[in-house]
Amino acid sequence: MANENENLSVWTSISFWRRSAAWVTGFAVILLIWLTFDTMGQISMGTDADLQKAVAEGKEINRVPAPTVINYHIDYKMSKTRGHEVPVIGAKEPFFGKEWSPKEAAALLHLGKLTVQAKNCMNCHTLLGNGAYYAPDLTKAWLDPAWQKGGPMQAMTNTGTTEEAMAKFLQNPSQYPTHARMMPNLGITAQEAKGVVAFLKHMSSIDTNGFPRNFSKTVEQFKTGGTNAH
Amino acid sequence: MFGLIQPFTDVNHSFFGFLNQGPLTLTIFLHTVIVLPMIWIYFSEKKKLKK
Amino acid sequence: MLTSIKTNEFAGSESKKLAMMYFRVAIILFGAQLLMGLIAAIQFLAPNFLFEVFDFNVARMVHINALVVWMLYAMIGSVYYLLPDETGVETVGIGLGKLAFWVLTAAVTVVVLVFIFIQVGPGKESTIWLINEGREYIEAPRWADIGIVVVVLIFYWNVFATFMKGRKTGILTVLVADLLALAGLYLAGMFFTDNISMDQYWWWWVIHLWVEATWEVFVGALAAYGLVKIINAKREIVEMWLWIEVLMLFGSGILGLGHHYFWIGTPEYWWEIGALFSALEPVPLVAMFVHVLYDWGKEQGMAKAEGKPGNVVKNGPAMAWIVTNAFGNFLGAGIWGFFHTLPQVNIYTHGTQFTAAHGHLAFFGAYATILVGMMYLGVQGAYGVERMKSTFKSKMAIVLITFGVVGMTIALTIAGYEQVLVERAELGAGWDAFFVAQNLPWYVQAQIWRTIMGVITFIGFVYLVWDLLTIGKEAKAAQAA
Ligand code: HEC
Ligand code: HEM
Ligand code: HEM
Ligand SMILES: [Fe+2]
Repeated sequence: MANENENLSVWTSISFWRRSAAWVTGFAVILLIWLTFDTMGQISMGTDADLQKAVAEGKEINRVPAPTVINYHIDYKMSKTRGHEVPVIGAKEPFFGKEWSPKEAAALLHLGKLTVQAKNCMNCHTLLGNGAYYAPDLTKAWLDPAWQKGGPMQAMTNTGTTEEAMAKFLQNPSQYPTHARMMPNLGITAQEAKGVVAFLKHMSSIDTNGFPRNFSKTVEQFKTGGTNAH
Repeated sequence: MFGLIQPFTDVNHSFFGFLNQGPLTLTIFLHTVIVLPMIWIYFSEKKKLKK
Repeated sequence: MLTSIKTNEFAGSESKKLAMMYFRVAIILFGAQLLMGLIAAIQFLAPNFLFEVFDFNVARMVHINALVVWMLYAMIGSVYYLLPDETGVETVGIGLGKLAFWVLTAAVTVVVLVFIFIQVGPGKESTIWLINEGREYIEAPRWADIGIVVVVLIFYWNVFATFMKGRKTGILTVLVADLLALAGLYLAGMFFTDNISMDQYWWWWVIHLWVEATWEVFVGALAAYGLVKIINAKREIVEMWLWIEVLMLFGSGILGLGHHYFWIGTPEYWWEIGALFSALEPVPLVAMFVHVLYDWGKEQGMAKAEGKPGNVVKNGPAMAWIVTNAFGNFLGAGIWGFFHTLPQVNIYTHGTQFTAAHGHLAFFGAYATILVGMMYLGVQGAYGVERMKSTFKSKMAIVLITFGVVGMTIALTIAGYEQVLVERAELGAGWDAFFVAQNLPWYVQAQIWRTIMGVITFIGFVYLVWDLLTIGKEAKAAQAA
């Protein structure tokens, strides 16, 4: 390198490193801001119109759908083109016995997210894989086989739908334990519980690029492009 | 070519998604943008030192 | 260290006295952190322990908040400590700085008491404002966030004004710029959104851009100062290294943020950006390690060549902690971070005990170590001793704490492997899969070992406090003799 003359070496020149540090840092920051704008556009919640269009055309439009996604059946299936599982939004189904208007759905989701923060779920569970590792990941909890018809939770809570079973469990979790490590009673009200269930259902519809992988897999089902998620 | 250029499969199209269609395209792009100016900084420092 | 309230050998440096005030609170919070960690660890093994009285989420919340807060305290303390040395003038606005210290300490006390006794609130905005925000590491309620911002502004003003008034060294230039970014990033964590993907996107700006960018650069600057101070390393060399470190740390760490954007709803292009830039993050950590050892060897060699007898190290325990830092940073952040940073691996390890293993070794290796080193420098200054050698207690402290944390990390890594293979790969991460893995005998054994190693860590901590309280006086007596 340029070392014939000690004084001429750029490699030991503070000013060279300072300028390079400034350039690389500045570039990284600007690129991160650019990427952030791009990502913000892609992860903002969609509208109800987007959602209807997506269902009608059978293709995904928003990575994070509108709150009204709680009015639809949600599944999580292997996608051949994407190479991993993706959420699939299906036909309409009632949520707590009714269809929720965009306004009502948004308000319910708001209550749910507030409750999730206020009750500090993330210091026991993970959401989207982030949080604590004491209790199961909740990213796709809505789709867990335990909550579905024929699963243990509806029978245990004496309810007929996933949402009612979840709401009942959340209001009194230590009354419906399935493991020695129980979830404590956090004083969640009936209304808050509905909100939390809406939040969980909405979260299960977010496109997480295939995380968790092979969710509740059964090998045969997985091969045929489905999972045991429902 | 060796399956290195992949079709675009992500949900939304975007500039970075486009660059991401072959493994390493995005990476090579970003590193070129970072390293080339450093070479320039190197020679400009060298000129300064020579003076 | 507490007795150094009375010792006053700082020759009138109020800044250094203020630094000691910060160090004292930091070490108390460190102790609280460990106790909370032990409670949480026991709950893994005995889930009925304090059930519905002091649940896991409460213990864990206080554990990681005490961690972040004690480190911020020790960081502020370190800056107040080195400021007069670097600038050559006394820190301006010390009165205001002391006021800010008491305001911050009062606020932290209230927040912790609310966490412990009120714990959670109803699903309303008022809970976010008054009780807890429910977002890992930055759970402090909004009122406290605003208080923290005000206090940090005061602190930053003091640093900046002193910097402008005094000598502008390279170390300080880096610090002043870095602190601005560090403080500014906190703002990214201060809003509420219904969109969980958006929430996590910005949450990582605070967490990742703190620990893998701004805090790392801060540590680089501290290590530079420490080397100049402890072994008389040459400033030009140290500062050149510092700029190289800034280049590599920011060059990899800022876009390395992408390794948290693989699975939270963000586009697939983050796989490649996150993988590549974060894979480069260990490089500066290797460089920092090499640099510390190289400088130490060089100074010692030069002293020998000049025929000076003995050790160039003027503060034994501080140097030991800084060397542990150099290695721990590389191991905990660099190696354990790299283990799970590629999306091909992370899709299975994301949110498992593997993450916890890395979190422990990284926070300890990269930050706890050097901040303890700074406390030892503080004690040396408080007693005005020329040379401070490690005592038996210093050695017990560093050996037991390091052994304990490394032991916890190994145990959690094993637990993590189990969880990854069984819960994630074999069974596919559902509720049932989770508990199948949690109840495997090997997983349970690993949790037992983690708890035992936690107790060892705590014993080491007791030695540490004991040593900090006594080492100054002993060194002074030895010097007088
Ligand atoms: C103190 C720790 C703790 C807190 C806080 C906590 N949980 Fe749980 N949760 C658990 C444990 C442990 C289980 C497993 C219970 C079992 O299997 O018997 C569980 C189970 C669950 C389940 C069923 C698991 C699944 O995969 O479907 C859901 C849903 C759930 N929790 C939601 C929540 C929500 C929402 C919150 C916040 C409002 C919350 N939890 C707060 C510990 C906690
Ligand atoms: C001193 C520096 C570092 C500290 C203190 C640190 C700390 C942490 C902590 C505490 C977490 C868990 C966050 C949570 O609670 O969800 C985490 C996650 C992570 N860290 Fe680090 N880290 C450091 C450096 C690094 C480096 C250099 C790499 C990569 C080379 C890395 C890779 C990761 C990854 C991939 C995750 C996500 C884990 C997951 O998906 O669950 N970290 N880090
Ligand atoms: C007495 C010793 C300790 C014990 C028993 C302990 C225990 C624990 C437990 C049980 C958790 C929760 C993990 C989970 O969610 O499953 C945790 C989290 C954490 N602890 Fe500790 N801990 C100890 C010391 C430390 C030290 C010394 C540090 C750092 C300096 C530290 C940093 C952390 C961090 C960063 C997390 C969050 C990890 C993550 O989310 O990935 N702990 N600890
Ligand atoms: Fe990170």
